[in-house]
Amino acid sequence: MHEIFEHTADLGLRLTSPTLEGLMTDAARGLFEIIAGDLAQIRIQPDSDERFHVSGTDPTWLLLDWISELHAAFELRRMLFRSFNVTIDATGLHATAHGERYDPVRHSLAHEIKAITQHELSVVETAAGWNATLIVDI
Amino acid sequence: MADATRDTSSDRGFAGPLERVDECTWRIPKSYKSGMLVDGLIFADERLIPQLRSDRAPEQVANVAFLPGIQTASLAMPDIHWGYGFCIGGVCATDPASGGVVSPGGVGYDINCGVRLMRTNLTLADIQPVLVQLVNQLLRDVPVGVGQGGRHVFSPAELRMLMQEGVPFLERRGMATAADVALTEAEGCIPDAQPEFVSDRALARGSDQCGTVGAGNHFIEVQVVDRVEDATAAAAFGLHAGQICVLIHSGSRGLGYQVCDDSLRALRDAPAKYGLDLPDRQLVCAPVESPEGRHYLGAMRAAANYAFCNRQLLMWQVREVFARVLGKPWHALGMELLYDVAHNMAKLETHTVNDIQKTVCVHRKGATRAFPAGHHDIPDRYRDMGQPVIIPGDMGRASWVLRGGPRSMERSFGTTCHGAGRCLSRTAATKMSRGRNIQDELLRSGVVARCRSREGLAEEQPLAYKDVDIVVDIVHRAGLSLKVARLRPLGVIKG
Repeated sequence: MHEIFEHTADLGLRLTSPTLEGLMTDAARGLFEIIAGDLAQIRIQPDSDERFHVSGTDPTWLLLDWISELHAAFELRRMLFRSFNVTIDATGLHATAHGERYDPVRHSLAHEIKAITQHELSVVETAAGWNATLIVDI
Repeated sequence: MADATRDTSSDRGFAGPLERVDECTWRIPKSYKSGMLVDGLIFADERLIPQLRSDRAPEQVANVAFLPGIQTASLAMPDIHWGYGFCIGGVCATDPASGGVVSPGGVGYDINCGVRLMRTNLTLADIQPVLVQLVNQLLRDVPVGVGQGGRHVFSPAELRMLMQEGVPFLERRGMATAADVALTEAEGCIPDAQPEFVSDRALARGSDQCGTVGAGNHFIEVQVVDRVEDATAAAAFGLHAGQICVLIHSGSRGLGYQVCDDSLRALRDAPAKYGLDLPDRQLVCAPVESPEGRHYLGAMRAAANYAFCNRQLLMWQVREVFARVLGKPWHALGMELLYDVAHNMAKLETHTVNDIQKTVCVHRKGATRAFPAGHHDIPDRYRDMGQPVIIPGDMGRASWVLRGGPRSMERSFGTTCHGAGRCLSRTAATKMSRGRNIQDELLRSGVVARCRSREGLAEEQPLAYKDVDIVVDIVHRAGLSLKVARLRPLGVIKG
């Protein structure tokens, strides 16, 4: 589950999930909601798959680097993704993201994200699963 | 959005000490937190205290006081609000000779975000009949908004030259005049830039964005001078009541954001390597005189030069639009740059600290350099008046031209505010706009507004910002910068 929370000039994501893979998936969906609006309302066709690998073992840096890679995919290749298959092993995070290139006729864009910040960045394992906080610079 | 947006503002305020020092200054004593090396000092008055306490920005002022080598105090301007790592409106000077650090978070992602003001010889009567046409043409011809590339596309090799040379690179290509160069901070080129430290990803993000506005709080605004406060300084700056001006606010676009991101990544191990105990990851830093510090400063200066060029190309396109709509060459319309000044930057400058003159690394994050009259870094034509300081307000009320004040060097390392400062979060502003038509409201108050995204006008509506007149009044009374002229918006394009 994710929620977008208020930050004076920017926007934050607060995430909870029973698994770390679920947390990473929810964060990815949150990112594209900030960029393009409610994913339930906009039509992003799963026409294109992209594979990602983020190396490392620290869940906090994995989250930051994974979301930064997705942000770069939008900035450099104009990719909008709506679904994600994420696995995490001893080498890092592996994912396939499904979506399509931004089409100005069918898609609208809500925010230009400058970067994914480290401010108040946290990933914490709890008895119920995982919690995380992430703030993006608008 | 998939889940309800939660209002967290009430549990995110600042309950720590704010001790009054004088009518415009409040102290967070260094005893507030173990690890603070100096006090925090915030320029504000009673009118801003409730707002000041409503978010976590004062906590960030206290956190910056942890940075090794910090001099005098961790400072914040009256447009202070919650940022990431540093607050917006923050100023921090560190001494490299005593282990002082440079922190990318003290500059921000938008390296050399800044403003430039262009004056014209047009009056309100000249512009009113064509205002709607002019604003519509600006929206058509000047790239603005999320994902908008520009018509100027640079190869990696060209970008490296542009970042090395700054605005003079554009002058050689016929897209800047000698006067444009002379009237840009640092003459449009921060020395010692090292474009070779800028990553391929940053070059790719910046290849088609030089000459684009972007989104968020960036804009181009047509304004009229509605009040002159200092006739002598206004005359020196070429301003008079009723005159049309154009204000441009943008920065280093994706290239600069990526330089900051790359630098933060490169500094992940710096706290352990240099024994730094920091209260926030985003404050990560390295000694100025370290390989990591020099690497960041070299790349940051390159991105800063890109930002000067971005605003230059935006101004060039605005000149072309005015010429097309008004049927005269831009120089016949008197479209001359008044000044271009950065408000996100780290610079090595000479300042006097405890009666000792030294070189310090001044971080200004949402804060504007404001050197007083006589300073050698001010262009000749303005030197007797002080550096022009350009303060954008909001799109419904006002912006200001100030001049560097007599007390800026002793009180704030030659710095003043950078804008009005947000007082509402983006989500709160959006909620407040439900059921309203912000564009119509602005039109009724005499402002033609055009915005590419549905969110832009709601999030950036005037009420999302503090009253810039109050912010400017405080820096004026504090002697950081002095009022010259107030400008009122007539037309705006945003992303």
